[in-house]
Amino acid sequence: MQSSLRKVFRTFVCPTRGFKSSPASCHDSLFVHRDSKEDNLDVNFEFTPENRKRADAIISIYPEGHQRAAVIPLLDLAQRQYGWLPISAMHHVADLLNMPKMRVYEVATFYTMFIRKPIGKFHVQVCTTTPCWLRGSDEIVDCIRKKIGADVGGTSKDGLFTLSEVECLGACVNAPMVQINDDYYEDLTVQDTEEILDDLKNGKKPRAGPRSGRYAAEPAGGLTSLTGEPTGPGFKVRPDL
Amino acid sequence: MLRLPFSRGLPCVRVVWSAAVRGTASNPAPEKIEVFVDDKSVLVDPGTTVLQAAAMVGVEIPRFCYHERLSVAGNCRMCLVEVEKSPKPVAACAMPVMKGWRIKTNSEMTRRAREGVMEFLLVNHPLDCPICDQGGECDLQDQSMAFGSDRSRFTDIHHSGKRAVEDKDIGPLVKTIMTRCIHCTRCIRFASEVAGVDDLGTTGRGSDMQVGTYIEKMFLSELSGNIIDLCPVGALTSKPYSFTARPWETRKTESIDVLDAVGSNIIVSTRTGEVLRILPRLNEDINEEWLADKARFAYDGLKRQRLMTPMMRNKDGELVVVDWEDALIATASALSHAQPDEIAGIAGGLVDAEALVALKDLLNRLGSENLVTETIFPMEGSGTDFRTNYLANSTIAGIEEADLVLLVGTNPRFEAPLYNSRIRKSYLHNEQNVALLGPKINLTYDYEHLGDSASDLKKLVDGSHPFSAKLKAAKRPLIVLGSQQLARSDGAAILSHVQQLAKKLSSSAEPDWKILNVLHSNASQVAALDLGYKAGTAEIRQKPLKVVYLLGADEGTISPNDLASGGVVIYQGHHGDVGASMADIVLPGAAYTEKQGTYVNTEGRAQQTLVAVTPPGLAREDWKIIRALSELAGYKLPYDTLFEIRDRLDDIAPHLTRHGEVEEASFLDQSVELSKNIASSFDSSPIDVKQKHLEDFFMTDAISRASPTMAKCVQAVLKQKQSKYYEGEV
Amino acid sequence: MGSRQAAVKAGWKQAKPLISVSDRDCRTRALQLYKAWYRAFPEILRIQDLPVNLKQCREKLREEFHKNKNVTDLRVKDLLIVKGQQELQEFSKFWSQKSHMMMRFKETHNPQPQDFLSKFFSGHK
Repeated sequence: MQSSLRKVFRTFVCPTRGFKSSPASCHDSLFVHRDSKEDNLDVNFEFTPENRKRADAIISIYPEGHQRAAVIPLLDLAQRQYGWLPISAMHHVADLLNMPKMRVYEVATFYTMFIRKPIGKFHVQVCTTTPCWLRGSDEIVDCIRKKIGADVGGTSKDGLFTLSEVECLGACVNAPMVQINDDYYEDLTVQDTEEILDDLKNGKKPRAGPRSGRYAAEPAGGLTSLTGEPTGPGFKVRPDL
Repeated sequence: MLRLPFSRGLPCVRVVWSAAVRGTASNPAPEKIEVFVDDKSVLVDPGTTVLQAAAMVGVEIPRFCYHERLSVAGNCRMCLVEVEKSPKPVAACAMPVMKGWRIKTNSEMTRRAREGVMEFLLVNHPLDCPICDQGGECDLQDQSMAFGSDRSRFTDIHHSGKRAVEDKDIGPLVKTIMTRCIHCTRCIRFASEVAGVDDLGTTGRGSDMQVGTYIEKMFLSELSGNIIDLCPVGALTSKPYSFTARPWETRKTESIDVLDAVGSNIIVSTRTGEVLRILPRLNEDINEEWLADKARFAYDGLKRQRLMTPMMRNKDGELVVVDWEDALIATASALSHAQPDEIAGIAGGLVDAEALVALKDLLNRLGSENLVTETIFPMEGSGTDFRTNYLANSTIAGIEEADLVLLVGTNPRFEAPLYNSRIRKSYLHNEQNVALLGPKINLTYDYEHLGDSASDLKKLVDGSHPFSAKLKAAKRPLIVLGSQQLARSDGAAILSHVQQLAKKLSSSAEPDWKILNVLHSNASQVAALDLGYKAGTAEIRQKPLKVVYLLGADEGTISPNDLASGGVVIYQGHHGDVGASMADIVLPGAAYTEKQGTYVNTEGRAQQTLVAVTPPGLAREDWKIIRALSELAGYKLPYDTLFEIRDRLDDIAPHLTRHGEVEEASFLDQSVELSKNIASSFDSSPIDVKQKHLEDFFMTDAISRASPTMAKCVQAVLKQKQSKYYEGEV
Repeated sequence: MGSRQAAVKAGWKQAKPLISVSDRDCRTRALQLYKAWYRAFPEILRIQDLPVNLKQCREKLREEFHKNKNVTDLRVKDLLIVKGQQELQEFSKFWSQKSHMMMRFKETHNPQPQDFLSKFFSGHK
């Protein structure tokens, strides 16, 4: 009787016991392999004849007995051929270099540029590190998100675009910027971004580089230094020397 | 040729290895350099690491990732020590010492470095010591007590929390709790370097790094249990032993493994009369500090299928429980009613030398000479008269000195895993080359395959084989003959040719270098042959046998049909296996953990097991059963105690009581001379080995056949073979 | 030899009896003790839970007394009587317990096997 009263009392008067759990800390990619529809051993991967030639050329760079050093370029080659790295591509590289498969998995999982899950044709990587963020990378991300209809980390329905947020890509003078596959698109505005995505969608190749009319990373309003003729030898040198 | 699985470019690694490996002292010793460890001066070879220099003066530097028998990884940072005039602490395990260095292993900087490393390790290590099987023998526990901070600054539990990693299923022997892993990579290095199975690795990076197989795959190797010992934390623990006992609760008995012919030294952990686990014991000459999975995990077979009481077959043909007196009297009367030549004793593979000598003495007193072992050895030529003929003369540690190993019809990987790991070690670090005459198998290292035709031996002897030139060029060649080949109909020819080849090579090899090695597959064969047992049951099967005394003989080399009508089969042993099921009288003996017995390994080294637990039920030590029987049969054997029977052993073969020592045997010339008359016709059938794949390794004798763990291992291997990720073994 | 016997005899003569002055006196004491024990047994059996009956106890009493029937030395007899009295007191006051009494019966006590065969059958090492 008493204990049941106490139970009731406990439930109503002090309903919470301090239970603490730590939030799960998760990486966005998985470091173990799970067979999926797109990524399993039945997926056939082999280098195309021309890539095979390239692979042989790469392997031949390395000294006898150290061929396995070619694993990174070969994985990159495989990724360029297939778009991303399925497990069978890793196995193909391992067989090619005659190295244990586990050693290839180690390399493929270590580098974030090896993508081990299906990805769109265009990998849109938006820099959101401080300089780009100050120059409005948030708007760019929003714009891309709306345009492709997928969130960060997702792929558009047509399978063309995959959006990723990345850390500094080293183009801070031309902030904000995105990297789409191998090309940098810099000095972006929202309109520029839309234009680029539209062009890509329509099969055109937009011009890479700054969109503000700059050639590269020179000052936006024209040169502020080095405007005159370069001075000749002996300039400002002590006359007695 | 690049053989090391990890080419780590550390100059010190190779130096360390070559210093650690025996027999490489032929180069002139480089000048030693002087360093100071805690102001104690020590002279070391160039290339010695700080950690090794400290060990020389008795200073032990804490470590997690460093292990003497594995390559240096240098990733745990626990071994950081201060070196005078160095602005930062150095990792002692990877840093070679320089002349005049003053290493301070107990300075403020060193202590702070250790404390810091320990704090970082503990940030992501769960506080689950009370439910962790490593508790009590955990390096992390011990070192955090010794070197860690006395308080925690870890408050991040509300924000990002501790790292949590998914557990992996790597087989029925090793349990993984990967959250506890501190990424020392010892298991990975062991798998890659010693076991030769590159299935473990690290995936991911930074705080998301994890140790595992990436794909869903089990780590199946014949040496996989060793990663449990290597793991400094509780990430890899023994699955059969899980939640069984704490190390301080168990009684430890130093003993010898008898499940293969290597004679690995083991520690048997027991509590309340039960074997809880088996661990390896360091013996540089035999097993170093490794242990094969069968030796480590087959102990649960000691609790199943045991013969607990004497039994006799009744009128209905069923075995019924009887008293010792009844069983022994029945045995004695059977023995005394038979003519001497109608009695035979057959010794199995797990019998100790004491029991062997007792049975031999008893049967000899009865007038019978029909004492044989189950395993066949050719008796033609000098047969088993010279020990040279049937020993691994080069010894196990001697493999490391060899420059060329020729394996004839053997798969050492599964017949004697630690013998194989020695060959692999020498293959990796001593530029040893290996060739195999036999079926194509995976030995975990590359070898030259010479085909599987027995007649190639003839070509090797007369020098017309393409491989002969390499054999001739070798300074320290080594031939390992698998005992299975001796059971072939042309076994004698194979043995004699191998002997002739060894004799021939001895002229081009270094003087006193022993070439001939016979790799046995069971633990009692050498002792039995030493004691004068004949090998193989073929000869005695021809005789009109009335009484057959099976001493642990479970291979089914004789059946009741081989006996004359009314014959009696007596089985003495510890497991209800093939032998007991066909016996008329069953006498329960003791298994190797339950008796003090002498075993001789394949290199001829006598070692003894000690009593870890008492035999179950009414089971008795084997030699005592025979001694009691002898009294009832009226031929009382003259020994009542272990010392007295060991005196008897000493009379017959003195090396049997010199435990731990190898008695050299050197009558190769004479035996070659005697074997010349043997017919040298070879069978056309190819040389084959019984144990080709991993699933053939686990269940080979009465104990491992009774072990559920071993059965699970076989299941796991077969399941793995179904997997798409299974890579063929060959 | 002769001198030794003489010395023993001399010692014998000089030894003084402790309690009993004569054999007769001693005999009376012994009989008294026997009777006391004989009468005490029902009470001992009442207060102690012994797995024996009165008859067995009295047989055992007789047996214990008969063990010393060959003792001739007066002083030894006296000592045995004193010890018997002490023991009686211990039992009747329940200072000594069941096991002390049952020790006298010793029926559970088996001799250790000595030769190899009996050791073997009994499982002794």
